[in-house]
Amino acid sequence: MPSWEDFKPFIVTGLALGGVYALSGVGMVVLYRATGVLNLAFGAVGAMGALLSWQLINHNGWAEGPAFLFCVLFGGAITLLYGVIFGPPLASRDPLVKATATLGLALILLGIMDLVWSDKARSMILPTSNHGFEVSRVFVNYTEVIAIAFGLAVMVVTALFLRFTKTGTAMRALANDREITATLGVPVRRVEAAAWLGSGLLSGAAGLLLSNLVGLDAATLTFLVISSLAATLIGRLRSITVTFFAAIVIGLVNALITPILSISQYRDMTPFVLATIALLVLSGRRGSALSGRAG
Amino acid sequence: MWIPRLDAGDRVRAGVISLLLAFVVIVLPQLLSGYWVTVCTSVAIYAIVALGLGILMGRTGLVSLGQIALLALAAWVGARLFFATNLPFPIVLLGSGLITMVLGTLVGLPALRLSGLYLALITLMLAGAITVVLRTTNFPNGGHGFLGHTETDRGAASIRRPAIANGDTAYLRYAILVAALMFLLALIHVRAKPGRAWAAIRQSESAALAAGVNVTLYKMWAFALASFLTGVAGGLLAADSGQLFITTFPTSDSITLLAVVLMGGIYSLWGAVVAGLLMQLLPALLNNWGVAADWLTIVFGAGVLQVLLTAPQGLAYQFPHDMARLGRFIAGRVGRARAPARERAG
Repeated sequence: MPSWEDFKPFIVTGLALGGVYALSGVGMVVLYRATGVLNLAFGAVGAMGALLSWQLINHNGWAEGPAFLFCVLFGGAITLLYGVIFGPPLASRDPLVKATATLGLALILLGIMDLVWSDKARSMILPTSNHGFEVSRVFVNYTEVIAIAFGLAVMVVTALFLRFTKTGTAMRALANDREITATLGVPVRRVEAAAWLGSGLLSGAAGLLLSNLVGLDAATLTFLVISSLAATLIGRLRSITVTFFAAIVIGLVNALITPILSISQYRDMTPFVLATIALLVLSGRRGSALSGRAG
Repeated sequence: MWIPRLDAGDRVRAGVISLLLAFVVIVLPQLLSGYWVTVCTSVAIYAIVALGLGILMGRTGLVSLGQIALLALAAWVGARLFFATNLPFPIVLLGSGLITMVLGTLVGLPALRLSGLYLALITLMLAGAITVVLRTTNFPNGGHGFLGHTETDRGAASIRRPAIANGDTAYLRYAILVAALMFLLALIHVRAKPGRAWAAIRQSESAALAAGVNVTLYKMWAFALASFLTGVAGGLLAADSGQLFITTFPTSDSITLLAVVLMGGIYSLWGAVVAGLLMQLLPALLNNWGVAADWLTIVFGAGVLQVLLTAPQGLAYQFPHDMARLGRFIAGRVGRARAPARERAG
């Protein structure tokens, strides 16, 4: 059994990953509550944004700042575009159909990424990764600090936004009943567009941070969404707070298993294992609101 | 016991299908060269996998995003059985089908009680998890121990094929026959009590429940059948490729499979054949023509959106109808072109 010293560096890594999973998870939950769409293309959008900004920096001579901003904006733009085009015609369909449709977007993006960027390994390093400080002999870089702080900030701001702003209240109303909300005079499409845009911006930011923390590879980044999905599932696709903490736990457990050599290779199973346990607990509770559309 | 009641239409259809099958089994393998024989074997195998997913989605409205990972698991089980035992080939296929069925159902069980979205998510996570495990354990290649994997190249042995179908052409025939049997199994299910229960569940879960259908049981049944079909396909695949690698089963393939199954059509068993062709034959054709197969991924993505928005019945339904419409259109044009001529003549 490894000693405490072996675990220490992985606490920071785990918290940083957890922070990014959390902000992705919150982005997905907000969109799901407002529109009923679970965006399974979340990871693919972020991956494409990160690869585009790599392209801009290394081949088009962009400065890093604008390129990173482009990544975030690309996430917002492509998600908003999808939402405006495909949101309304699918609005009355089952949540499962809506989620399946986003897989279409994921496939299109995956195909483009494989076509353009599959030739060699790439890496992108945020300037913040080169600087940091030491906490009890563990080096912490600023990207990790940003990831943790940003995850926490997104959770708090989103919760406040849903609670206190007009658009936020409209989103919560939409989650309950789309028809009645429309009857009450809420501009449904505009509120939904706001949710698509916000969620998309978060996917771009998550893609940028993950490309730095994990690696710049289309398939890896696309399927890292699984960790965030596990967190949203534990939060029953509804609770932002539970999603946040579940994501942090998934990130932490995943990282802390690394020094335990006997199961280290299996650490990427963490989201599946934790989500299954959560499902077993949830389905044990009969009569919960799970069987219908959560929200 | 289910006794088939066939009316005249069914009998004609059964006759046509038997003729088609006879052509595909006897004549087609003779016409193909080496490369296309292996491609067609893959088509037959993936058609079985597509059939499983088609039943899940089209009959009960469940979506699984981890079927290719389940196929990888089944191939592992199949390979393990082939190396561990001297059992006849069909028994091993059956065994890998049954074991995969149990494993798949166990995983799906907690999600089946919940809404379909949860099952889709948990199967996607399962796909990730299976890939992680198989990357570490590798596939059996004749080594010792439970995992049966050896790193040395010398120890690596090929997975055996049935004695009657050792060559590629013979194995293609064998695979097609197994696929035909699996389609028959699916047809029996669809036509009998489970099929009616599934239809009720697809229309409305609460109505089915009110009508006395055991919803959880029949959902589980559909999931078990799909896993069984995938298991048999995994055994076939193991023997087809001889040596297995995890790179054969990328997680994204599970999503590609979903796309081709939707495009092929989930309400008809023929859709699974179309899906197999789309997934295995089309990339081979494109490679042959020097076009990157990544374009297909983009087309499939667009296909998913198109099917969900405008053509839920997929190609298996749409294509004959469009052809009939085209036929009528041409007939109409030709008829109108002739009519004035006749008037002038008269």
